[in-house]
Amino acid sequence: MSEEYLLAALRMAAGVDPVPGRVSADARAAFALRLPGGVIAAPVRVSAPPGARSATAPGTSPETGTYGTAPEGGPVMRRFTADGLTIDIEPAVVGGRLEVAGQVSPPPGPGWEVEVRTAHISKTRAPSESGHFAVSGLPPGWVSVVCHRPGLPPVSTRWLHVRA
Amino acid sequence: MLDQAAWEELVARFDGRMWAVARAFGLSPADAADAVQGAWLRMVESLDGIRDPERIGAWLITTTRHEAVRLSRRARGEVMADHELPDVAGPDPAAAIVDADFGRHVWQRLHTLGEPCRSLLRLYVLNPDAKYAQIAIRLNLPVGSIGPTRARCLSRLRTLVQDDDA
Repeated sequence: MSEEYLLAALRMAAGVDPVPGRVSADARAAFALRLPGGVIAAPVRVSAPPGARSATAPGTSPETGTYGTAPEGGPVMRRFTADGLTIDIEPAVVGGRLEVAGQVSPPPGPGWEVEVRTAHISKTRAPSESGHFAVSGLPPGWVSVVCHRPGLPPVSTRWLHVRA
Repeated sequence: MLDQAAWEELVARFDGRMWAVARAFGLSPADAADAVQGAWLRMVESLDGIRDPERIGAWLITTTRHEAVRLSRRARGEVMADHELPDVAGPDPAAAIVDADFGRHVWQRLHTLGEPCRSLLRLYVLNPDAKYAQIAIRLNLPVGSIGPTRARCLSRLRTLVQDDDA
C-alpha cells in the first residue's frame, strides 16, 4: 500500500479535486484510437542514430541507451520496429507546436501512407521514395505514428509523450 | 473484445481513481491529465493482451502510477527511459482498493492520529495545490519541517491502515 494510494483515497472520500470533465472526455474518446488488426511497433534502443532531422541526436546517450528527453535540447530519434518495418521518428516541440519528422524503412511501396496521430488531430502524409515524412502544427502531448500499407496490417508506434 | 459502451463504463468506474493517483504524486493538473491519458492510450495499445477483465482496473491504476512517476521525475529534470511499462498480466493488487469507500476508512484512522499529524495531513489532503509555506503558516510550524513531518505522518497513517488489514 503506497502512501500515494492513501492520499488518493482520502481525497476521493472527501470529494476534493475530482477528475476534470475534459480528462474524462479524452478518456472516452481514446477508444476510437484503437487500430483493429494493427501491429504495435515496440521501441528499439539506438546508440548511433542516423537522424531523420539532424545529423546527430544530442539527447541520446550511447552509454546508457537512454532516450526520452533531450537534456541538451534538440530532437531525439526514436526507433520502433514490427512486422519487418522500421519507423524512425524525431518529435520536437517548436514554438509550442509539435513537429514530427521521420522515416519508414524499407522504402515504401505504392499506396503507403504515414499517419501522425495525437489524441485529437491526425495528419496523413505520403512518404517520399526514401521513406521520409514530416508533419507540423500538432498539439504537444501524446503522439503515435501509423504506417498504412495496402494489403498489410497497419503498424503503429507505441504512444509517446512529447512536451517542450 | 470491448465495445465503446464497455469502454465508457471503464472510464466512469476508474478515471476518478486514476486522476486521484496521478495528483497524489504531486503532479500539476496538466501533467496529471497527461498521465491519465497516457494510461488510457496504453490500454488502447494493450487491448489484445488483457485477458482478465477483473485486472483491468488494477492495471489502469498501476499504469497511471507509472506514468505519474515518469512525469514527476521529468518535472524534476531527471532523464528516464520512456518505454518501460508495467506488466499487463501483473498489476499491483493494492491499486484495486483505491476508492472513496477505502478513503472513508483511512479518514477514520487519520482522525486517531495526534497533532500535528492530524491537522497537517488534513490540510495536505484537502488542498492538493497548497505550498508547504501555506501549510506552515496555517499550523504555525517552520516551513522546513513540513516535508519531513508530512512523510513521517503519512508513514504512521499507513502503518495504522496496514494493521487493520493484518
